[in-house]
Amino acid sequence: MSCVKKFLCVSCPVGCSLSVTVEGAEVLSVEGNTCPLGEKYARSEVANPVRTFTSTVRVNGGLLPLCPTRSKTPLPLSKVFDVAREVAQLTVDAPIEIGATLIKNVCGTGSDIVASRSLPRKHRDSRELENSA
Amino acid sequence: MVIGAGISGGTIARELSRYALRVAVLERASDIPYGASRANSSMIHGGFDDKPGTQKARFCPRGNKLYKTLHEELDFKYHNCGSYVCAIGPEEEKHLTMLLSYGKTNGVPGLEIVNGEILRGREPHASREITAALWSPTASIVNNFEASLAFIDNARTNGVDLFMETEVTGLLFDGIYGLDGIGRLDGIDKSKESKNGERARIRGVSTQRGDFTARVVVNAAGVNSDLISRMAGDDSFTIQPTRGEYFIFDKSVGDMVKSFFFSCPSDKGKGVTVARTADDNLLVGPSAVAQEDRENRDTTRLGLEEIFQGAVRLVPGIPRNMAITNFAGVRANSDKEDFYIKALDRPRGFINVAGIKSPGFTSAPAIALHVVDMMKESLGDLVKFEPNPKFVPERRHIPRFSELTMEEREHLAKTDPKWGQIVCRCESVTEAQVVEAIRRGARTVAGVKTWVRPGTGRCQGGFCAPRVVEILARELGVAPIEITRHGGDSYMLTGKTKERMPSERMPSERMPSRRQS
Amino acid sequence: MSAARQVDVAIIGAGPAGLAAGAAARNEGAERVVVFERDWEPGGILQQCIHPGFGLHTFGEELTGPEYAHRYLTRVREAGVEFSLNTMVFQMDKPVLKDGRKTVTFWTMQPERGIEQIEAKSLVLAMGCRERPAGALGVAGSRPSGVYTAGTAQRFVNMEGFMPGTKVVIMGTGDIGLIMARRMLLEGAEVVGVFEIMPWVSGLRRNIAQCLDDFGIPYYLNHSVCELRGRGRLEGVGVVEVGPDRQPIPGSDKFVTCDTLLLAVGLIPENELSRMAGIAIEPITGGPIVNEWMQTSEDCVFAAGNVVVVYDLVDFVSREGERAGKYAARYAMGRLENAKREFKIVPENNVRVVSPQTLTGEDDVTVYLRVGSPVESKCRLYAEPGLFSQRLRYARPGEMNEIKLSASQLKSLASDVTRITVGLEVL
Repeated sequence: MSCVKKFLCVSCPVGCSLSVTVEGAEVLSVEGNTCPLGEKYARSEVANPVRTFTSTVRVNGGLLPLCPTRSKTPLPLSKVFDVAREVAQLTVDAPIEIGATLIKNVCGTGSDIVASRSLPRKHRDSRELENSA
Repeated sequence: MVIGAGISGGTIARELSRYALRVAVLERASDIPYGASRANSSMIHGGFDDKPGTQKARFCPRGNKLYKTLHEELDFKYHNCGSYVCAIGPEEEKHLTMLLSYGKTNGVPGLEIVNGEILRGREPHASREITAALWSPTASIVNNFEASLAFIDNARTNGVDLFMETEVTGLLFDGIYGLDGIGRLDGIDKSKESKNGERARIRGVSTQRGDFTARVVVNAAGVNSDLISRMAGDDSFTIQPTRGEYFIFDKSVGDMVKSFFFSCPSDKGKGVTVARTADDNLLVGPSAVAQEDRENRDTTRLGLEEIFQGAVRLVPGIPRNMAITNFAGVRANSDKEDFYIKALDRPRGFINVAGIKSPGFTSAPAIALHVVDMMKESLGDLVKFEPNPKFVPERRHIPRFSELTMEEREHLAKTDPKWGQIVCRCESVTEAQVVEAIRRGARTVAGVKTWVRPGTGRCQGGFCAPRVVEILARELGVAPIEITRHGGDSYMLTGKTKERMPSERMPSERMPSRRQS
Repeated sequence: MSAARQVDVAIIGAGPAGLAAGAAARNEGAERVVVFERDWEPGGILQQCIHPGFGLHTFGEELTGPEYAHRYLTRVREAGVEFSLNTMVFQMDKPVLKDGRKTVTFWTMQPERGIEQIEAKSLVLAMGCRERPAGALGVAGSRPSGVYTAGTAQRFVNMEGFMPGTKVVIMGTGDIGLIMARRMLLEGAEVVGVFEIMPWVSGLRRNIAQCLDDFGIPYYLNHSVCELRGRGRLEGVGVVEVGPDRQPIPGSDKFVTCDTLLLAVGLIPENELSRMAGIAIEPITGGPIVNEWMQTSEDCVFAAGNVVVVYDLVDFVSREGERAGKYAARYAMGRLENAKREFKIVPENNVRVVSPQTLTGEDDVTVYLRVGSPVESKCRLYAEPGLFSQRLRYARPGEMNEIKLSASQLKSLASDVTRITVGLEVL
């Protein structure tokens, strides 16, 4: 027995409406996509939906009290809340380099949480850059 | 002791500060002005629409004259824009003739009825329907925030104490029915009073922050003035809270009118007005909705629709989508036709300055002079009116960066880098102005806005709100989550990020929670 | 006051448009290229947009806002652009003729240096846009705290570390609102729902999928928040269903309890300075009228990014920013001839927004446009006379369409042609 599942592709801003015919766990066909990313997305959505996760972590001594973070690779949607809680626990010390790994293999998802910006140390009490970064 | 720091309380306090007296002003709100003085047309009326012989007719033209010099002395924005009462058709024109004769009797200078053509020659956006208009050249407009603040600010400099967030809960008496100390709303035993001819005398007020002693108490409590009056045993008037709704339009359409436009009044009130504010926005309003509630300052869809329709009757081209905000005020109208300004015989020392309806803002400085005269005349045994040797009549507002010359700006920026940090883009407000507003008493986001205008512009605080919260917290030495919009529980932020964990349950199942303070 | 500081190309705003313009101006050969930025770091609004979705066109991968800013900044620094940070441009004069060419003068303020006068041979306006506040919509009711634009909330949450509320209603389906729905939820807030007055979503459809649907946040089309309640903090909002005329349906009012209302009801190009400089503004876009060089009604003033028209994607902003920087540099170096022809682009047939609005015909150009109402069937996008025709499967207001025209096409148009009409025909 096959059935048709509808998805909206989030791979790019176009947002194609996908119709995916599945039988059990097997994808028989994907329609509605305008590029190969759509097909890939549809297959992933049937098997195990994944998303890029972004949030912030607390920072000690940084120019900002927070540093934005992201998962280096998409991680299972079902794990998003676990990851959010894990990330919320973390506090890191400035300075932080963009791309620095903050949590390895977060919640066993196989993806790392990395810093998505560089954050210099706070210079005395001002918001001046230490040396124009 | 003055109860209420609105325009009435403020002008009286400032007038009293000319004398070597200990004066305190009690204000229940977190910011000044709060009540009707905060939300009104900010109009300085010419004084032609009050029935000759009334207190209104007496004080309004005088007040108008006083503002001419007061705005220079106290440095608040004032623009002598003149006003037109617009008539559409012969019925309304009759009304103009009546106003003209009132005005002449009241001593209002320069009144003149012009026809529609002349009006449109001067005011090209005026409706073609308008057949005649009564021109009043002395009518003006002020920044009502600045004006209200100016009187209190100057009074404080001259030694008046201001107690914010201090709500009067009762009055203290000496004399027969003051034996128990406190006369609350219904705590006055009238039977005792009539049996004994001895006069009761005011001894002070009690508030939620404790008792204050005073020989004279002036009730300028605006919308709550009847409640305070009843505490003193005078229930001869009742406040009829009347809500008025307004629209504010972007500055880019502020020049659609040069003067203040009135509709011909109906039984509902003075009708909708259209005006260019002292800060060049376009102001439209008010409605007039009598209500029980003294606190309800809500705007309504219907009310806003009504005033907009009223406004386009005078100025058809007002673009609705250029509105930047709307607000409502509650006028402290009373069941009396006129103002109710009276020193009570008993208890002695209690003066009602109540029912200060329109043109109350205009009349306030004249009323203040009158109140002081009343005190001198009838309460001279209680308070001595010696001149205050330290009285300084002049007072400067916080410099308005947007109005300074480039040289002045440069000079200020050199004295303090905070003058070089713009906080509000729409109104060009610097950090130094915000800091100074806090130093002079602003405690909330709305208070800062009242003083120096961040958030009054077309973005309505989108850009500056986080900055103002940050500066308030820093200057007041509190956490940003303690900062409120206008006192009470109007907190701006509910906590820090990362404090609450996301819950996996569906949104509808989650429990609402509140900030821990 | 000390003498004016001389600059070749001045750029106002170090967001994506300003950064792109700066790099392009240097690469085109302009000497002194200075970007004036009011914040303490470049990047503009990108720094608070920590979600992914930026740069697929420019860098071939989906980056977060700060990552996109970082990548772009590397390019800009290599190009040798000068930054003036913490600097607010607060006044600008209408350009005047000086030594036979137009020059623009403006004033900046910086806490350490105070006020400076700047004289620039050419200028790129790149101030971006701001969010429409509640007052503009005529939302009635009380004036409690807890009403924020989505972007202000985003700044609090992502950069300052504060939560603006615990129980959130979102008005409008602009992208920032949808993004903030997910963001607030992941920071432990409850998101009650999203209410949109139009019968369609104004943001990108994928943000409905990945910000709302993924988390079970409901959204309601044809619904408007019409009233605020609460005297201190917001206690709830009145919501009403609207009919096809956008007017409330009687009896459909309901009360939704919340302590926070976030507004995602539209963006408005930020043109205070442009108005000071006397630049002609187009009423539909709210931005300056520009040609394909991104040149405004004042020859020496160019404009880029959301200050011109609110784009969907940062990639477009960067691309048009580069264009503005390139031509601003040419102008500053005296290498931009006055155009010989001018074509007006006239939208018709459900095309509402178009940018640029005029063409010189000297260069290839991408014309961006937005339809007024969605078409969910096959349709044809065209530019007449005979310049462009493309079949589309749909056209939606939330997603810009592009029309590419070449200089040779435009040059071949008969000399009496001055209008180009752009429209969308339903097939």
